[in-house]
Amino acid sequence: MATELPSASASARKIIHIDMDAFFASVEQRDDPNLRGKPVAVGGAKARGVVAAASYEARVFGVRSAMPSVTAKRLCPDLIFVKSRFDVYRSVSQQVREIFRAYTPLVEPLSLDEAYLDVTALGRPATDIAGEIRAQIREVTGLTASAGVSYNKFLAKLASDQNKPDGMCVIRPEQGAAFVQSLPVKRFHGVGPVTQKKMQRLGIETGADLAERDMAFLRANFRSSAEYYYRAARGIDDRPVRASRTRKSIGAERTFFEDLSTAEELSAALDDIIEIVWERIDANDASGRTITLKMKFADFQQITRAQSFAAPVADKAVFAKVGRELLADQLPVPKGVRLLGLTLSGLVGAAKIKTPKEQLSLGIE
Amino acid sequence: MGYSMKATVERATLLKCLGHVQSVVERRNTIPILSNVLIEAEDGGLKLTATDLDLQVVDSIAATTDTAGATTVSAHTLFDIARKLPDGSQVSLDVGDGNMKIKAGRYSSKLSTLPRDDFPMIAESELPTTFSLPGGTLAEIIDKTRFAISTEETRYYLNGIFMHVTDGKMYAVATDGHRLARMTLDAPDGAEEMPDVIVPRKCVAELRKLLDENEGDVEIGLSASKIRFRVGTAVLTSKLIDGTFPDYSRVIPTGNDKLLRVDPKTLAEGVDRVSAIATDRTKAVKLTLDKGRIVLSVTSPETGTATEEVPADYDNDGFDVGFNARYLLDILHEVKGEQIDVHLADAAAPTLIREGDNSNALYVLMPMRV
Repeated sequence: MATELPSASASARKIIHIDMDAFFASVEQRDDPNLRGKPVAVGGAKARGVVAAASYEARVFGVRSAMPSVTAKRLCPDLIFVKSRFDVYRSVSQQVREIFRAYTPLVEPLSLDEAYLDVTALGRPATDIAGEIRAQIREVTGLTASAGVSYNKFLAKLASDQNKPDGMCVIRPEQGAAFVQSLPVKRFHGVGPVTQKKMQRLGIETGADLAERDMAFLRANFRSSAEYYYRAARGIDDRPVRASRTRKSIGAERTFFEDLSTAEELSAALDDIIEIVWERIDANDASGRTITLKMKFADFQQITRAQSFAAPVADKAVFAKVGRELLADQLPVPKGVRLLGLTLSGLVGAAKIKTPKEQLSLGIE
Repeated sequence: MGYSMKATVERATLLKCLGHVQSVVERRNTIPILSNVLIEAEDGGLKLTATDLDLQVVDSIAATTDTAGATTVSAHTLFDIARKLPDGSQVSLDVGDGNMKIKAGRYSSKLSTLPRDDFPMIAESELPTTFSLPGGTLAEIIDKTRFAISTEETRYYLNGIFMHVTDGKMYAVATDGHRLARMTLDAPDGAEEMPDVIVPRKCVAELRKLLDENEGDVEIGLSASKIRFRVGTAVLTSKLIDGTFPDYSRVIPTGNDKLLRVDPKTLAEGVDRVSAIATDRTKAVKLTLDKGRIVLSVTSPETGTATEEVPADYDNDGFDVGFNARYLLDILHEVKGEQIDVHLADAAAPTLIREGDNSNALYVLMPMRV
């Protein structure tokens, strides 16, 4: 079926997806020799905390990000919890982005630890470029990164995950459709547990199963997402790499390993999310007028509660306070919470708001 | 033994006098007598006193005294009554049996009193330094510095105007840490050896009001802890701020090499106009300096942008600098002449502002990052 569609061709783009390996945890292990080779969890130090990132040594025990610290500790009794240091992660991230920009201005960061690069215009094998970039990242930061090289973002991202950590995977245009079809659908970006279950009911387990379904079937079952699945199953993704994405919102959400139900657990989880979101807001020099809390319950029922302001929220304390109030309004929760998210939208970007205005001081004490 | 007192006074005279003293009285007082004004009837006149324990005003007015004596009544109530009595009426004050009867024409009222002996007075003490200044000069000193007085209570030593004499010059300085204003004058006779003093903001405000109505010389007496101003018939006595004013001279820049000359009125009007769109509490205005002109601009994430070009005498490298619009206006509004000299270094350095035709005034303004 794939051959019917225009995808693989000589004029294919060259896209690289770079993903730092266990980024936060690796930075901690780099900076503290005592942590090297040991199971490390970043964040979650609080009694009811949640793991923000886990080192590969910890992952062996089944420790994952978003897992409650208690669970993580049970799985891995020797797990070492370290406090997150976002300022350090951000400066390392900056170093890495500088390496990218030495190759191309077409860099689209997704978060502190991953980015897409479009290196089509360089006229050199993308595999070489990806290799050089990985070597430089190691040299400059002392950290490892995995790379995925392919002809679109969808595949490049799947590829970088393929040989993690410290690995690389190339998916050539002629391999794209076959590669996608060999994967379980849950690896597809956008296929979460609910969709996955639904697909399972419909007999769709792999990309190949998905590719067999026609558009009418997909429309009937997945409505607005139908086209995305149709194209994804065929390895098609035309989204360009955007150097400066105009974001509509900045947020983060966490799916919990075990459903949370107490106020303490939820508050601790929200506090972690607030930290992460504010880092992103800060890194983007943005502020926004609407704060939205998203909550998904054990039965997948989802609610969102928002509060809007006349002026953009430019202060972390306000952002945190509103977030906590939105959560407090939902307490006690009627059923276990499997996902919690907080988003700032109605964004006023850096270009508009400029740097924060600050009255300088004469220095009289 | 009850207190008695009886006097008659012209309503307008009483009102003016109460106007001088009642603003010293705090609206909320935990000590009841501090809400009151002390009225003392003597031969040929009345003496009214108000205090907040740190600041005391005594004003004397002409009145017909039938029975000499003294009492205290609510300052704000008496002021309110005097305000509402018809112009030209004669007001009689008659004290007896713990009350003061007020009669004017067909109006009469009875206010409860508190004994005069309970009224706290700031102790008379020796004020070794005495000198006098023309009322107009004193008013100018206040006008050109008071806006910079800090309201931050933790830095209480900045909550007033610092006055000191150095090398025959008297300096009056105020700062809130973001801007500084200083007036200089030749030290008046008698002030050469005066101690450094910090005159509290409230005293400055009350003094300024008194100066509005008196053009003559003001007699000033001071010690290290107190200051007294004699303005016309009124005597203002205040405790001084017990603290050390910081060494401010080091924040006055001396090497700022970029000179901007501009008409303060045009600049003030422009700043006022462009900052109208700002919605923040602190309105930041950006000055883009270019040869022969400056462009004022304000950007508000909600409302939009505003710019205005202001002709200026500037012949240096172009650059941008931001200021708090209010701070800039505070200075510009006090300039009477047609030119200010703005000495700039860069967008993050103290900026020196002088008045073209008045070398006595000096302002230092710290920029805002915009």
